[in-house]
Amino acid sequence: MSRLRSLRPALGAAASGLALGALCHPALASALAALLGEAPRRALSLPHLGALALNHLALAAAGLALTAGLGVGLGILATREAAAPWRGGIDGLAAAAQAVPPVVVVALALPVLGFGGPPTLLALVFYGLMPVLRGTASAIEAVPPEAREAARALGLTRGQVLARVEIPLAAPGIVEALRTALVLAVATAAVGALAGASTLGTPVVAGLQNQNMVPMLQGTAGTASLAFLCDAAMLAAAALVRR
Amino acid sequence: MSGLVPGSAGEGSTAPPPSRLRAVRRTARVGAPLGAGLLLAALYGLPVLALAKNRLALGEPVFAATALGPEAHSAAALVVAAALIVRAHPSRRVALAAAALLATALVVLVVGLGGAAADLLAGRPPAARASLASGAWTVLALLGAGLALSVRRAALPGLGAALCAALAVLMVVAWRQGILDALSLAVELRARRGVMAAAIGEHLVLAAGALLLASVGAVLLSLWRRGQGLVGGGLSAVQVVPAVALLGALVALLSGLLRALPALRDLGIGALGIAPAILGVAAYLLLPLWRGLNRALQAPDPATLDAAAGLGLTRAQTLLRVRLPVGAPTLIGALRVASVQSIGLATLGALIGAGGLGRIVFDGMAQFAPDLILLGAIPIVALSLTAELALGRAETAARRRRG
Repeated sequence: MSRLRSLRPALGAAASGLALGALCHPALASALAALLGEAPRRALSLPHLGALALNHLALAAAGLALTAGLGVGLGILATREAAAPWRGGIDGLAAAAQAVPPVVVVALALPVLGFGGPPTLLALVFYGLMPVLRGTASAIEAVPPEAREAARALGLTRGQVLARVEIPLAAPGIVEALRTALVLAVATAAVGALAGASTLGTPVVAGLQNQNMVPMLQGTAGTASLAFLCDAAMLAAAALVRR
Repeated sequence: MSGLVPGSAGEGSTAPPPSRLRAVRRTARVGAPLGAGLLLAALYGLPVLALAKNRLALGEPVFAATALGPEAHSAAALVVAAALIVRAHPSRRVALAAAALLATALVVLVVGLGGAAADLLAGRPPAARASLASGAWTVLALLGAGLALSVRRAALPGLGAALCAALAVLMVVAWRQGILDALSLAVELRARRGVMAAAIGEHLVLAAGALLLASVGAVLLSLWRRGQGLVGGGLSAVQVVPAVALLGALVALLSGLLRALPALRDLGIGALGIAPAILGVAAYLLLPLWRGLNRALQAPDPATLDAAAGLGLTRAQTLLRVRLPVGAPTLIGALRVASVQSIGLATLGALIGAGGLGRIVFDGMAQFAPDLILLGAIPIVALSLTAELALGRAETAARRRRG
């Protein structure tokens, strides 16, 4: 029973995600656009929408993998004793990276990395790095010093303390940071459409250019739906980790 | 960067503990040669300029050793000197000297690059372009990082701002003297000087307008005490809607509204342009501002509030004299996050005809002209970094005054 209760936030997010996903259906989106007073226009077919959603998800997942590797790695590095003087520099770098808007990262990377996925991935890493880095560092710092000292007294090496004490105790905090990063990545990947990556942002940008409301609605609802579903998956994972 | 890390700015006024001094020394011993080494590798190993037939063509790489010569070598010598003195004795005074050396290296290098670009273009057709390449950007970034670190170590109040101002003045002088004229970025800027000034103005109006609107909205939302759960959920849901989509949806909504109430058009509100852009950007700023406001108001501990009540302070007095001063750092922090987001999101306003620096960026993307993209992107990044640093500094100052 308690297990079900800990899964409740995940179920709520999943329900919102499914409702928004239903809104992507061509018939529903057209009906909503008509309700807003738009003239009926062509909607995006379901298979096309599905392909875009898959691509979007793959891009966001790749972005999350890069962000997680870099962010968690730097977070662990920043909390090592020897790295204490570098801490401010690492933190400042991540904050500066987040201050550059994703659309500007995409635009700047376009001439260097070309069209499509790579500039979008770079934007995702820039945007997600700081939350993951700060989340990881503060989760590791919150590990009680007694636990660390006890492990050292038992004769564990620094590496063993990290792997067997610090990371397991910090896991809920790290998963929480990754959840934020995943939702950010899913919402931000839509910007990649401006660099020609085929994501759920593509129908939005195309709709904006052709003044066609229906695909715009479908892309919007699709992105939000994906974000909620990913949030639900991470919430469920967090509930399982905490158990 | 100093403002971003609590407790790192202005520490020179009190003697640092010995362990911290040791740490600084260790960082300097490893960091200074490492940074200088990377810089030299980028300066001599990567192309500093790219020479192209026109503004859209891919350029031929040009290296510092051939195109720059003495300027590259003297900049390199200055950087090595800075690294050596910092490595030997990382005191505050030495950090100040290192900052001066690095700033000089920066100026020498920029002037050298301008001259090299002019030499490269001499005798070529007017469409030819010389743009800064990967080596130059890497060196400039490393010099900037080195300067930031030295300024932080020197810990003199106002030094960072003074240095930025001095470098900006030198850039303007170099630009006026025509030293930078041959660089492709300067050519793009010369072609769009009027447009640039207008775009910066529009961008600031968009960002500030959205910030103002969202601040009013956040205050109003936090007044609705019983609906806080609902407000939190609603504002978080907005965050997962892609900004491009929200702006598009607002255009559709506004055009529907204008069809129903044509009188609104007389107020200067259009379905495209600045109105939906400000509304859309403000929607994303509501969450950080509302959350910051709530946290700031709850910052005083119950004992302090009890004491205030015991002194006979009214609710308004408690708010003004206790809750707001105690919560000020949190409030400024929320404002910092919101302003950085606002400046970034305002870029997307160009997609729905609101102008701003985004228009230059998107023009550059459409034409695939890298220097035009840079021309729009550099001021956006500069504005958002300035907001981040200045408000971060204010946040640290407010926190220190409190505790």
